[in-house]
Amino acid sequence: MDRILIIEDDPETAAAVRAEAEALGCQTDHCDTLDAGVAAATSAPYKVIVLDRMLPGGDGVDAMARLRAGGSTALILILSALGRAANRVEGLEKGADDYLPKPFEPEELRARLRALLRRGTIQVLDNDLLAFGDLEIRMKARTVHVKRAHVAVSPKEFELITYFARNAGQIVTRMQLLENVWNLHFDPGTNVVDVHVGRLRRKLEEAGSQAIQTARGEGYIFAPLPAPA
Amino acid sequence: MTARPIAARATLRLAALMALAVTVLSLGAMALQYRLVETRLMTAQRSLLTADLDGLAALYDQRRIIALRQAIDYRATAATGDEMLLLMDRNGTTLAGTRPDWPADLAPAGEGFTSDNAITFTEGSTRWLAVARTLPGGFPLLVARSLAPVDDTLAALRRGMLGLLGALLVAGGLVGGLAARSVMARINRINDLADRVAEGQLDARLPGARSDDEFGLLETHVHAMLDRIQNLNRATHRLSDTIAHELRTPLNRMLQKLAKIEGQDDLTADLKAEMRQAIRMFDSLLDISRAEADQGTGGGLVPVDLSTVATEVWDLYEPLAEDKGLITEMRTIPGLTILGDRNLIAQVLSNLLDNAIKYCAPGDSLTLTLTPDSDRILMRVADTGPGLPDDLKAEAFDRFTRAERDRATPGHGLGLALVRAIAARHGARLTLPPTEKGFALEIRWPRLQQSD
Repeated sequence: MDRILIIEDDPETAAAVRAEAEALGCQTDHCDTLDAGVAAATSAPYKVIVLDRMLPGGDGVDAMARLRAGGSTALILILSALGRAANRVEGLEKGADDYLPKPFEPEELRARLRALLRRGTIQVLDNDLLAFGDLEIRMKARTVHVKRAHVAVSPKEFELITYFARNAGQIVTRMQLLENVWNLHFDPGTNVVDVHVGRLRRKLEEAGSQAIQTARGEGYIFAPLPAPA
Repeated sequence: MTARPIAARATLRLAALMALAVTVLSLGAMALQYRLVETRLMTAQRSLLTADLDGLAALYDQRRIIALRQAIDYRATAATGDEMLLLMDRNGTTLAGTRPDWPADLAPAGEGFTSDNAITFTEGSTRWLAVARTLPGGFPLLVARSLAPVDDTLAALRRGMLGLLGALLVAGGLVGGLAARSVMARINRINDLADRVAEGQLDARLPGARSDDEFGLLETHVHAMLDRIQNLNRATHRLSDTIAHELRTPLNRMLQKLAKIEGQDDLTADLKAEMRQAIRMFDSLLDISRAEADQGTGGGLVPVDLSTVATEVWDLYEPLAEDKGLITEMRTIPGLTILGDRNLIAQVLSNLLDNAIKYCAPGDSLTLTLTPDSDRILMRVADTGPGLPDDLKAEAFDRFTRAERDRATPGHGLGLALVRAIAARHGARLTLPPTEKGFALEIRWPRLQQSD
């Protein structure tokens, strides 16, 4: 069972994070000061640390170096009210594995946690050929085939489908797509991402693949294979 | 930077003035002394002449002309060159004297042996102090003392004074120059500090101890000011962080509670959208403040490929524009580089393209072009949409400016204000060129010249 450490001083937020983590089948611990958090992080093997920034005792971003120096190999998800693009880029540049601004939707946090928990457990991306039933992605040639027929995708759409493939079977949010495929860390206001996903999805559907599905209110899910009944 | 030579000139001018003032004062003192010495020496010569005349008068009293003639003969034989004696008879024949004839331009005046009305005359290169009389019976008598010792002494004095004057000027110039240099060195320290602060190093300070003088006091004052600015700056940053924390934490609780509401999906979706808008507006405000606070400082800017960023953001928005029926076009050449912040530049483009797509109608065109010139890169976003109302042009870039007709369109009136703040942060020039139809905005980014 994966262990998740929550370093968060707001009890309601901590409870919300705990609920999501436990829904994913993880065991959670909670610290409400930075020093207690750093001490806990280096005392047990956590898979993921959910780290707040403006904590009693200091800024979580500054504590990441201490966590690493203490021997923690946990993936760090920063969950902070400092949510402007500049804050997010700063956090990621200083070594965070993901950065989610408050306020966050529970689905968004769940998607991020799931992505982190899965990270490192999948090897398929080293292969040149990613095959999902009758949908094939050739990494080197940067081509997509459905039922052996070539589907013409733009370079961005290819990046999009590889990101989906990397998180196959999981819900992927619009914010994740914007951050990981477009490397943009601000909210553009309109859901520009939907248009791109819509185009890619139509191309796949025309070729006969229903791989991309909308997860209502949450984002998208790449499920090329029928869900196990 | 251009102010530096002027400052140096001011210091040098002050030093020169000081040297000159010292020299003029010394010159005055020396002139006074010169007059004093001259008067003393002349008085001494005059009393010698008086003594001569008194002696001759005593002889004349005893045996008249004969005694005078004997005495003059005697003294002429032992001539020292310092005195001039001449006695003639009424026919102009020399009876006795140190010289054979009467000097020209000198007429005998009065009788008797007083030294009053002594006159000076020049013969050859020597000046003489002379008394010329006609003794009873028509005997002209000349008694004179050479002024050569006086003139020699005064000449020596003048030479000495000239030398001293030269030495004073040289010393004054030297001391002034040295003083100016030391003053300049200390002022330059403070100027360099000011330059470093202007470049964004708010924590720059002068090393070493403060000296116990006016410069030390100036440095202390500058440091106190910098501390204050730095504290204010920190407080501003802390305040924006605190505002973010205090606003987003309760919003976060609301959102968590919203997620527990079931069965009213439309209402909760609306509420979430409202919250998202509020956060966007509030982030824009903080972004504007931060960009304005960082304006003019190069800190945090790195080389960014403007062509790539523009293409990426264009590619993100173009399908949206196409779906809305706009005619889109982007023109650029690859590899145009500026010193910048990729995310901020992307925000500028995102704001501009989003605005254009929001306000244009199907059939309108939307273009983004990047054209380089020697030291700037011109970024132009233009559309043929409704454009800006004329009465709005002046304040288009102010915060919360929105046209009356756009009240129904979602937005908070911060987009262009953020665009302007980010452009200013990059030292870019922003203009709204006139267009026949629609809206156009041009940003001239300072181009980064590739060194390799």
